[in-house]
Amino acid sequence: MAPDRLAFVCPRFAGEGAVGGAETLLKNLATHAAARGFAVDFLTTCAQSHYTWENTLPPGRKTIDGMNVHFFPVDERNTADFLRIQQAIDRGHPVSPDDELRWLRNGVCSSALMAHLDRRVADYRAILTGPYLFGLAWFAAAAHPEKTLLIPCLHDEPFARLACMKQLFRDVAGCLFNSQAERELAAELFGIPDTRSRIVGMGLDPFDADPSAFAARRGLSAPYVLYSGRREPLKGTPLLCDYLNTFRERTRRDIHLVFTGSGAIDAPPALRPHLLDAGFVSEQEKHDAMAGALAFIHPSVNESFGIVLLEAFLAGTPGLVHAQSRVLVHQCRAARAGLWFRHYPDFETQLLFLLDHPDARAELGKRGRDFVAREYAWPAIEQKFLQALDALRPVRSPPEHPQPQPKGTP
Amino acid sequence: MTDTPALSIGAPGFDVDRLVADLQATVDRKMADGLYADARVARAERTNLVHLRASDDFIAFYLTCLREAVFVDISDYEIHERRRFLGPLLVAFKKTVWKLLKFYTYRLWSQQNQVNGLVVTALEGMEDQTASKLAALEQRIAELEAQTRPHGP
Repeated sequence: MAPDRLAFVCPRFAGEGAVGGAETLLKNLATHAAARGFAVDFLTTCAQSHYTWENTLPPGRKTIDGMNVHFFPVDERNTADFLRIQQAIDRGHPVSPDDELRWLRNGVCSSALMAHLDRRVADYRAILTGPYLFGLAWFAAAAHPEKTLLIPCLHDEPFARLACMKQLFRDVAGCLFNSQAERELAAELFGIPDTRSRIVGMGLDPFDADPSAFAARRGLSAPYVLYSGRREPLKGTPLLCDYLNTFRERTRRDIHLVFTGSGAIDAPPALRPHLLDAGFVSEQEKHDAMAGALAFIHPSVNESFGIVLLEAFLAGTPGLVHAQSRVLVHQCRAARAGLWFRHYPDFETQLLFLLDHPDARAELGKRGRDFVAREYAWPAIEQKFLQALDALRPVRSPPEHPQPQPKGTP
Repeated sequence: MTDTPALSIGAPGFDVDRLVADLQATVDRKMADGLYADARVARAERTNLVHLRASDDFIAFYLTCLREAVFVDISDYEIHERRRFLGPLLVAFKKTVWKLLKFYTYRLWSQQNQVNGLVVTALEGMEDQTASKLAALEQRIAELEAQTRPHGP
């Protein structure tokens, strides 16, 4: 009997010159599904940049990590139309249903990918797609809603309030959320009952990290705080630079700010000598940087799942997150390993607390490491994924992978 | 500025919710005492204001910070030059330029300071007015509710 076949549909393939939390999440779930015996087709585009969506990779099929990865070209886009409508949505202006569709079509779409999906849909037990706001995921779900399990990576943002998104969440077979906070947001916005969704998330492999290695390699003599990921206003990095600059000026404490990842950094000139932009670094160096940091600071308020925050916890480093991000606050609360700030005065007090109470910092770090090792180990996540699949897209034919035994409620 | 609440880490009952609540209570007390009424804090919050719209207390606090930042310093200041080569010459040149432009820049900056001060005063006035109107309305609602509430079972 042939194994059940799953299709993953995602605008970019993480690792082929593209980074992004949602892309990494879908790729990792697909890889682990393949390892559990599913036949996996990962359908993606030839684009690497989520700004230009330019076709920079050759179209075709590759076998990667036990999956068939199909690269399809992105359709021609009318960027002027896209930006005009996106700006209107961003500003909260009313947008007509036609313009919503035009915005989705001119975001990122691939008619070649859609044609492949239409041809092969009967072979798939389920189509797993995300993130919710990209045209590619939206049209794939709209074409085959009864087979689609949406991995939305939902944020509380203007795009989530569009009429087309209500339709998307209403019509799909089910949703796989990354956290309870994301599930609650979907219930508020779209009235999704818990029976139509499961919380899965992403697993993290344990790693060893040397807390002194990064500082020694980069010549850092003062304590430092770290942010890893894309640097852009939506992620709150200008706020982090402003806060740290003010912290240094007001407290006269020598503390450095380290960034890893990509994007321009909008920092006040006075902070620049105390700022280290490490750019893209290896996983090992990132983990070393996390382990040596006083705190991992995540100033974004638009997150559906803080993968880097969990990695920092696993490195034994506490988090400091924005109080308006309910997902990150939930993670700090669940792990009992992080603090959350409402404004600068909170930030100053909490950072001083971590600086002046090394025992407390170590205790928070230990709790975070234990929590992630327990809750986000891959076997636990794989089990949740298989249970979600069985609940939301019941088995069509006996699979070759071992049947998981349902354990409690998801 | 650096005092933090004494907490017993690892003690029974220690959790992040309590820790955050304790630290926030300290912050709220210090804000009420004016310890953060600082132009640098107002500048640091430039990208965070959008997230603080819902907080009445914070807008009042932000206006206090703004009051600290509102006046541009237009006094004379000591002109230095770090470069050794031609240093004294450059200082003399800058002093001359400063003196020549003073009649013009002082007028501009004084006007700017006046406008800044008026804007902040107007904002503070609006904030006070809105707060007292809201308080009066809330009191009126409470009175009306008390009148219309059914008496006893």
